[in-house]
Amino acid sequence: MTDTKLFELSIAEAGRKLRDGAITSMALTEDALARIGAIDPALDSFITVTAERARADAAAADANFSKGIDNGPMQGVPYALKDIYDTAGIRSTCHSKLRLDNVPAADSVVETRFKAQGGVLLGKLATHEFALGGPSFDLPFPPARNPWNPEHIPGGSSSGSGAAVAAGLVRMAMGSDTGGSIRGPAAYCGTVGLKPTYGLVSRRGVFPLSTTLDHCGPLSWTVEDSAIALQVIAGYDPLDPASVDRPVPNYLDGLGQGVEGLRIGLPRHFFAEAQGVSPEVVAAIDRAAETLEKLGAVVEEITLPDYELFNACGRVIMYAEAFAIHEQDYQTRPLDFGLLTYLRMTLGAFVTAADLQQAMRLRRELTRAVNLKLKTYDALITASALIPAPAFSDIDPNSPPNWPIQTMPFNVTGNPAMSIPTGFSASGLPLSMQIVGRAFDESMVLRIGAAFESATGLSARRPALAQGKASR
Amino acid sequence: MTEMPDDAALTVEFDVFAKRAGLDIPADRRPALFAGFKDLRRMVALMRQPRTAADEPAGTFSILSVTRGL
Repeated sequence: MTDTKLFELSIAEAGRKLRDGAITSMALTEDALARIGAIDPALDSFITVTAERARADAAAADANFSKGIDNGPMQGVPYALKDIYDTAGIRSTCHSKLRLDNVPAADSVVETRFKAQGGVLLGKLATHEFALGGPSFDLPFPPARNPWNPEHIPGGSSSGSGAAVAAGLVRMAMGSDTGGSIRGPAAYCGTVGLKPTYGLVSRRGVFPLSTTLDHCGPLSWTVEDSAIALQVIAGYDPLDPASVDRPVPNYLDGLGQGVEGLRIGLPRHFFAEAQGVSPEVVAAIDRAAETLEKLGAVVEEITLPDYELFNACGRVIMYAEAFAIHEQDYQTRPLDFGLLTYLRMTLGAFVTAADLQQAMRLRRELTRAVNLKLKTYDALITASALIPAPAFSDIDPNSPPNWPIQTMPFNVTGNPAMSIPTGFSASGLPLSMQIVGRAFDESMVLRIGAAFESATGLSARRPALAQGKASR
Repeated sequence: MTEMPDDAALTVEFDVFAKRAGLDIPADRRPALFAGFKDLRRMVALMRQPRTAADEPAGTFSILSVTRGL
């Protein structure tokens, strides 16, 4: 087997080969480390590569396999974490000067769960500063780049996670999503990105951006790999106040069931009438709807409240909550924040108590409106990003970018939402859509995603850079 | 939806908010931040929609309470 084939193995495929002895975890790990060394200088997706830890994890996993010990599907499988996840003894910087020397004493809950299964930690990934401000060149580390074209942004804030997965440096990487920070990079980088239901995955040990909007979830190359990751990280945590105590289903069970007979709502007005939307994005979602119909689903246009209401509601809450977290640093060392972080987060100082209460009132109404639609429909499909990934040169470094992306609504409502590729633009950049489900019905979102992925075969196309055919 | 004040009124508001928050805003960052503030004011005005039955006093965000009974 060649190195190229190794990186193309999904978690499920690698797991089977690890268990039948066809490959070792050490081989997978050395392959990943070699790829990071060769490709990542063009992408800057990793802030810290934990090679020593990865080799120790791999050796431990191989020893367990040889003894017949199997701790779960992540045993022996390399993964990586956005650098806002606490990792005991490994610096966790939030991509910020303010936390350059931060070495946590304890692991985040998510890291604890991957570690308990015997996963192999490859390292910590680039992010927008504090999961908000970027892409920026005034931070201690450079911004990650898009593997499909390194002159383009990978999206954010889980920028390194999207770039590393798309480049085949890692099969699955954890991101966080407060207004679209998992689904945005997934959309721009052509990966799967799953924001689970609010309360399904513990955020403990993950540096907060906005406590009532923050979600943790995976980015991966395939839907099945996101399902595997979710299975590991989902579950009640009594020490996360938002965590919900309810049974965790088997997310792999429904993946092969197809979409025959499902009812899917399409709020086409959300994106098709939005200012600046790319016709390629709209056409790709229309084609996706046709594909789902050919697979046996019923797809019907529906109407949701105005997108701008969701956006305003989410942003007001996010700014207020984020500023509250960083208030002291803004008063004592404001210029240590990157410019874009400063310009966005400072807005929280201008939100009044009445503004915030209005936002929470509106949030309840909007959530109810979405959930009422989901009484009739099994899921919704809508746009993730409204245009393919912009170029770095398109972004004003002195003004926060106004992301043409429609992910915030489902942070506001808390519903599970997954970004999945729908095709490619004429310029060769990925296009995408979101699949949105009922609260805690990730199984349905994954089921529809798996059926669509299988029907389109889009995951077969990788960036040239991932094949070693291009570099910056 | 409430009406948007003019720039002069917004400038006063901006300065009061910044002072109350203990912020010393560098002059070179002020124009971009003020532009962001204006956009924020547009958003908070947009949120002031007619009230509905969902505005009961105990209404606070919990995904379980929002989805209960649906």
